[in-house]
Amino acid sequence: MILLLLLIPGLSAALFFLCRNNKINHIINVSAASLLLLCGAWLTGQVIHSPEMEYRSLGFFYMDPLGIIVLDIVLFIGFATGIYSVSYLENEIQEGVLPKTRCRLYYGLFYLFLFTMILALTVENMGIFWIAIEATTLASAFLVGFHNDKHALEAAWKYVIICSVGIAIALLGIILLHLSSIDALSEGQQLDFPALFAKAAVLKKPIVRLSFLFILIGFGTKAGLAPMHTWLPDAHSQAPSPISALLSGVLLNSAMYGIMRTVAIVNRCEGGSQYTGRLLIGAGLLSVLTAAVFILTQKDYKRLLAYSSIEHMGIVALAVGVFTPLSLFAGLFHMINHSLTKSMLFLSAGTILQKFHTKKVQKIKGLLRTLPVTGPVFFLGLFAIAGVPPFSVFASELSVILALFDAKYLYIGGVLAVLLAGIFAGIAATLFPMIAGGGTEEEEEEGEAIPVGEINKGGTAVILMLFCIICIGGFFLPDSVILLMEGARDLMLGL
Amino acid sequence: MSELLDIFSVLILLSAFVLMANKRIRSYIKTFRIQSFFIAAAAGVMGWESFIEKGHVDILVVCAIIVILKVIYIPNLLSKVYSNLEYRVEKDFIFNIPLLILISCGLVVFTYFSVSTVEGLNEGFLNKQIINSVSVFLMGLFFMISRKKAIGQIIGFLELENGLYICAMFSTHGMPLVVDLGIFVDMLTAVMIMGLMVFRINEKYESINIKKLNRLKG
Repeated sequence: MILLLLLIPGLSAALFFLCRNNKINHIINVSAASLLLLCGAWLTGQVIHSPEMEYRSLGFFYMDPLGIIVLDIVLFIGFATGIYSVSYLENEIQEGVLPKTRCRLYYGLFYLFLFTMILALTVENMGIFWIAIEATTLASAFLVGFHNDKHALEAAWKYVIICSVGIAIALLGIILLHLSSIDALSEGQQLDFPALFAKAAVLKKPIVRLSFLFILIGFGTKAGLAPMHTWLPDAHSQAPSPISALLSGVLLNSAMYGIMRTVAIVNRCEGGSQYTGRLLIGAGLLSVLTAAVFILTQKDYKRLLAYSSIEHMGIVALAVGVFTPLSLFAGLFHMINHSLTKSMLFLSAGTILQKFHTKKVQKIKGLLRTLPVTGPVFFLGLFAIAGVPPFSVFASELSVILALFDAKYLYIGGVLAVLLAGIFAGIAATLFPMIAGGGTEEEEEEGEAIPVGEINKGGTAVILMLFCIICIGGFFLPDSVILLMEGARDLMLGL
Repeated sequence: MSELLDIFSVLILLSAFVLMANKRIRSYIKTFRIQSFFIAAAAGVMGWESFIEKGHVDILVVCAIIVILKVIYIPNLLSKVYSNLEYRVEKDFIFNIPLLILISCGLVVFTYFSVSTVEGLNEGFLNKQIINSVSVFLMGLFFMISRKKAIGQIIGFLELENGLYICAMFSTHGMPLVVDLGIFVDMLTAVMIMGLMVFRINEKYESINIKKLNRLKG
């Protein structure tokens, strides 16, 4: 069954390279995305109902609550962006931005990208995890540069170079971790996450500490932690919007998943969280600070959303750094909420971009009127991502701050609260002018006004679905989700 | 046997210095080929030893792949990319060469002091060489920031990967074979993608100088 999870994206990627008819390609895309979602649901059921909360297969695949949470996010956002892509591509083709023949290239790379992420999250071996994470960069490089103009090319080049070098640094960390465990582990279990975790106490401490530094820098680059974040705003703003949603909602999590696993191993080896805590809290706070500065002066709405991703990854890193049961739960919850909210925003931003043909905030007026569904959802989504109740991001941000105070990090909690308030002000001041105005009679007479109405029906439905989830997530969580998050928390704490 | 490996590890470090002193893109590619050849030779020696002692062929397989990929295929690919470019300038360096060499020496000394303070790092199989390998890794990083042509950056990235590879090989006798193979596949794809992008950058910007990639800010 788990093989099916890898076969579906692999096979569909192959089909796209063979099939030239765009209509058939759309159908393959929608059915593959839905099938993946079903497989994911089945696998989640397996993990929840097994007594040890884990799933092994073929001696190569391994799933536990932590992995399954991140995997489910991948499959769900993959489904949403897959559906959204259909009309998005059709619109691009109609406007002549995209040649008809490139549609299948888009889908092929899209499914390769999903394939590499699914592989990263289902394997047991840390070396293969690394290979898959590096492969995500390679699969998405051409997607980032898909528009093929000077800007997109620059973003793609920076993305490939910075992420490849960053990931190479993580490989050095993994080599050192391997070196530290070479006496403790037998031949067959080298570099396996669960084996490393079980034997963490007998690993060589100084080497483990050194390796954590490299792994944090390496995967931190991919997760968009400051000061290694420089590729992120460029790549997120230049990529086609569904890809931005995937990069932000899914790819950053996959890298963060690597950091979380390593933190659990290192903390168990050290017998405390002080060492990893200091580094992660420092990196997290710096990310939030960097994001706050750039959000306050941003002119481009997609870049603003990208900086907001850096902020939220910083918050997750902070929560993991504190490493108490409450903070880990809050961190995981925040990761889920950020993914859903941010992909919804990027998808809405895609519709806005196709409607108004500009990324500049000043040139957009009357969003509520022009896009009767996407406009209000985008507007409320901005409130949500800025951390306003009753949305789910508020709930998890509040829990992170509470966890900080609970663990006696008083100053850090205070600074975080102030920075979040600053970011809220930045988002409000920059983006809210987009909402009102526009559509005056003069403009309509001159024929300059943009026609009212939605342009991406399937996409709008997906956006609305995501919106409903983040609304409900603010005050209600299904039992199975809580069970999984508690499982992941206990797993990292070694309970 | 271990003396032979010592010699190879020093030769690899030396080739990293030579690479740092090169001025022309053609000579980068040549030096990279020589460096990879030394790595393949070291892997061959190590593989032969493990084959005789334990009957493992893992490292010999890896050695063959290094010869095919890093000594033959990738350098050829890069020279092909370079000869097909429309707009090219031969020389490529920012600072003067003696300064670059001095900084590289500094990097080696820095690695020596920092690596020898970490307890337990000198107990593996052959760990005097770990200093040389980490130095090659850092020099690869430094090479990337000291050149401004896109191909120079690719070579820097490959040198960095070489440093990593010998670090893994000397300290732990290589990673598990599946991991090694996966790393090679990734590296090959990375180089191909970067090569393609060099073409596109050259088309759009009429140069491969990455200083011109400065439009996205803020």
